[in-house]
Amino acid sequence: MTDTVVIGAGLAGLSAAIRLAEAGQKVTLLSFGLGGIQLGQGTIDVLGYRGADTLVERPFDEFAAWATEHPDHPYSLLGADVVRDSVDWLAARLPDLLVPGDGRNHPLPTAVGAMRPTYLVQPSMVWPDPTSVAVVGPAQIKDFYPHLVAANLAVTAQVEATGYRIDLPARAGEAESSPVVYAKALEDPDVLARFAEAVLDQIGDEDAVVLPAILGLHQCVQPQLAALLKRPVVEALLPPPSIPGMRINEALTAQAKAAGVRVILGSKVTGFESDGSRVTAVTLHQAGRDQSYPASHVVFAPGGFESAALVMDSYGTITEPVFDLPLAGLDRDDLITGDYWADQAIFAVGTRVDQSCRPLTGDGEVVYENLHTVGGLLAGAIRWTEKSGDGIAVASALRAADAILSPTGTWSPPASPTDQPPAPEVVQTLQEDAEDDADPATTPSPPEEDENV
Amino acid sequence: MRKLATDVVVIGGGSTGIGVLRDCAMRGYRTILLDRADLAQGTSGRFHGLLHSGGRYVVSDPESARECASENSIVTRIQPDAVECTGGLFVTAPGDDPEFGDRFLAGAALTGVHAEEISVSTALAREPRLNPGITRAILVEDGTVDGWQLAWSAAQSAIQHGGQVLTYHKVTQVHHGDGMVNGVTATDLKTGEEVWIECSFVLNCAGPWAGQITHMAGLPPVAVIPGRGSMIAMSHRLVNTVINRCIYPADGDILVPVHTVCVIGTTDHKVDDPDHLAIPRDEVQQMLDAGEELIPGFRQARALHAWAGARPLIKDDRVAASDTRHMSRGMAVIDHSVRDDVRGLITIGGGKLTTYRLMAEHIVDAMEEQLGTSHPCTTAEEMCPGNEAGRNYMITHRLKEREEDRSRSPIICECELMNRDMFVSLLKEHPHANLDDLRRQLRIGMGPCQGGFCSTRAAGIAVEEGVVDAERATGLLKLFLENRWTGTWPILHGDQVRQVGLDNWILQGTLDIAHVPSPTKVETDPVDDPVPSDPVDDPVPSDPVDDPPLHDAVDDPVLADPGEEPVPSDLGDSPPTDPMTESPPTDPVDWKEAT
Repeated sequence: MTDTVVIGAGLAGLSAAIRLAEAGQKVTLLSFGLGGIQLGQGTIDVLGYRGADTLVERPFDEFAAWATEHPDHPYSLLGADVVRDSVDWLAARLPDLLVPGDGRNHPLPTAVGAMRPTYLVQPSMVWPDPTSVAVVGPAQIKDFYPHLVAANLAVTAQVEATGYRIDLPARAGEAESSPVVYAKALEDPDVLARFAEAVLDQIGDEDAVVLPAILGLHQCVQPQLAALLKRPVVEALLPPPSIPGMRINEALTAQAKAAGVRVILGSKVTGFESDGSRVTAVTLHQAGRDQSYPASHVVFAPGGFESAALVMDSYGTITEPVFDLPLAGLDRDDLITGDYWADQAIFAVGTRVDQSCRPLTGDGEVVYENLHTVGGLLAGAIRWTEKSGDGIAVASALRAADAILSPTGTWSPPASPTDQPPAPEVVQTLQEDAEDDADPATTPSPPEEDENV
Repeated sequence: MRKLATDVVVIGGGSTGIGVLRDCAMRGYRTILLDRADLAQGTSGRFHGLLHSGGRYVVSDPESARECASENSIVTRIQPDAVECTGGLFVTAPGDDPEFGDRFLAGAALTGVHAEEISVSTALAREPRLNPGITRAILVEDGTVDGWQLAWSAAQSAIQHGGQVLTYHKVTQVHHGDGMVNGVTATDLKTGEEVWIECSFVLNCAGPWAGQITHMAGLPPVAVIPGRGSMIAMSHRLVNTVINRCIYPADGDILVPVHTVCVIGTTDHKVDDPDHLAIPRDEVQQMLDAGEELIPGFRQARALHAWAGARPLIKDDRVAASDTRHMSRGMAVIDHSVRDDVRGLITIGGGKLTTYRLMAEHIVDAMEEQLGTSHPCTTAEEMCPGNEAGRNYMITHRLKEREEDRSRSPIICECELMNRDMFVSLLKEHPHANLDDLRRQLRIGMGPCQGGFCSTRAAGIAVEEGVVDAERATGLLKLFLENRWTGTWPILHGDQVRQVGLDNWILQGTLDIAHVPSPTKVETDPVDDPVPSDPVDDPVPSDPVDDPPLHDAVDDPVLADPGEEPVPSDLGDSPPTDPMTESPPTDPVDWKEAT
């Protein structure tokens, strides 16, 4: 029997699965889709903006103020240290794919010419602070228009920027290629050489070259291309499918499998079994029938509305369809407004959780002792405008995993060097009404396996 | 100030105004059409897309039924690419009075509307999603029509006959002296330039805005009572035949398959301001309920977008002003020479898009009567340009075209199968257009993702082709997304929430579109028009549904945006008077589209 079933194959689900499996658990990961990593930007966000226009330079320095302004935000529960440790944990696992964090956000060009803040970038995305850049895009990539990108970068990055088009089909006869096809083609050194030639043919003596993020899927060829072009090369973000996201997804999935996680994709979790206080099994609709997956613990990492983990019916009723969990953030009448640029409050709806990431009822009661919700399902964040989704995903996933790994099944702060017993408030929820969260009785147990990384 | 001279000025670029322009031009009058926005941006673009067979009116309004039957076949013939011959069904839903079907058949026989009762099982075989509880089904020759295609192809025809179209020209005054109209002044919203147009006749086809025009002429008020009709486009065609309830016309009793969607409509509420048409949530619920009665499970289908149009009803003293449904649906013609002793001005209200050509014929006849002239109307005989005889629209046309050209031109809007070449070619014709102007002709951004993927591509291409600079392109992109949202948020639920989540993730998250510089206002011109307030916009066709009203034909819009800018020619200086007699040869500009 499985120790833990993880539902969801995005950054949160994979992180939790890896942590649990490496600690010796038998883990089964169930997912209907491929996971959200390849829909995102392929970097690790922590916090990019405070409010609509306040750019964050050092995200962890903002946490205290952020928590004051956003008491219901997942970061207020997790705290700066945990989030930093969590993303560092991820960076350490992916040394070839993520540049270690130094506390500061990186600026990253996007396909509309924004300089988007993000915390951990891939090595192919480090902005070299050029005074001039050539922005180059193949005509076959229809989500990247170098002239638009260049003109906007001139303002957003304060560089001299010039756009250039090259015409080099990834496959003969194709007017358009998916980024996946193009990225795979560039892994062939001959194709890459022709590509470099086409670029050199166009560009001038700019300091650096910005290209769409298609420089190799399984192996990033940015270093080789930079050598051929004799200057730094930067990958700019595209709409999905995200090649950088696929690189991370492949690496993490491989690590999960190497750690013994059983991965079952393409089937939907449709329900569960419970003894009242605990979830005893989840139901997977597989091959035309329902199959039960018993587990001692469940990590629920299904995403938010974007993956149908939350749904709103035609009468406006919002539910979480698998466990029918209580949802926070519904008690307002402006969940959706007519201002396109405003954060729509509906997207902050989700589960409110305790320190172990277990969903709570409105009264602060733990819903199921062994069910943990993590990632995009957590209430209180507008992940895309804050640029906070990855930090929330990894940190909450590791928090849930650590709770599961502890003998009590709940998380407590690590013991201090002097071996103080954990403070009793650990089980408190982020909100004031945390009175009786889980079972206070169990809290005092010292966390043995926590912080194992 | 730019100066032009012409015989006739038509105010309003909806279907009525465009029909009138075409008719005037074909009868040999030099004619200029003005609209403060783009063609068919108002009511003619904000209906459900029904091309009436006349069935809807066989009981309630036999004369309209007769007109619809004959105009349906004319429009289908002269503008085949705008019309899809879907056929229509009048069905008796559970709870509806089955006897109405008998009255329907009797009315159809009297009015010449082709109608044939078919068995319920035949109807269900044809439309399997129909409520199996229906008790009767009557087949009619309803079609569906794209109001924008209709408007543009008629405008092209008019241009071929010498007519001119000046979009994004807002009329500021209608001048008259000695009891006679002598000119119109307008503002070119793209440049801010004032335009004086000397003319001897003005045809006020401004629909819901017609009262504003007569006000600009300094005449006693004409009471226009805009009737707001709201509609919802559902993703996919849940039916391929127009489905009507076989009842006395009411709200939410029609489902129209148009292009890639089907449209449920409509409601009818009196409003004060045709520029501000909200779509209240309770109206949305009412329409979803109505859909559920026709198609069980309708609420589980995906709602994409909502919009509202304003029916241009002129007040009829015989009914209460708040009951727009029962006001005359026929066309109202106000001859100001009779009413106000001002010759050379006629105001038109009411009408229906289906009968736009016939209305235009009547209006131009009325003008000629006042002028004491008479020329034959030939608009029913000549096909509009861009059409192929007998080749009516089918939803598969674009698929076939893309299969043929996909190795030459990338598909920019996958939902609507619009490729780069189509976009670039229209953009170059209308370099001042905004993305919504292009959308109305190309359908870019009108599918399930509502611009999530295609909008940034459109902006990038516009820059790459050298048509606009990056700042304006970014502004157009943001404006387009704002306008799409206007029609999305009032109906947001179900799978479309998921889509919005993904779109926001991509556009606001990954691409960080909010932090790319753009002009504070995309249009730099002095536009003092209202910005679109509410959900209005969109889809397809025009005409309201129900019973009453409409003609939707005329009108203009609501959005204040950017548009194109015609290049006019100058005429010299003195504002001429007395135009009609001999007009100074000017050669008015023609719009780039001419040719």
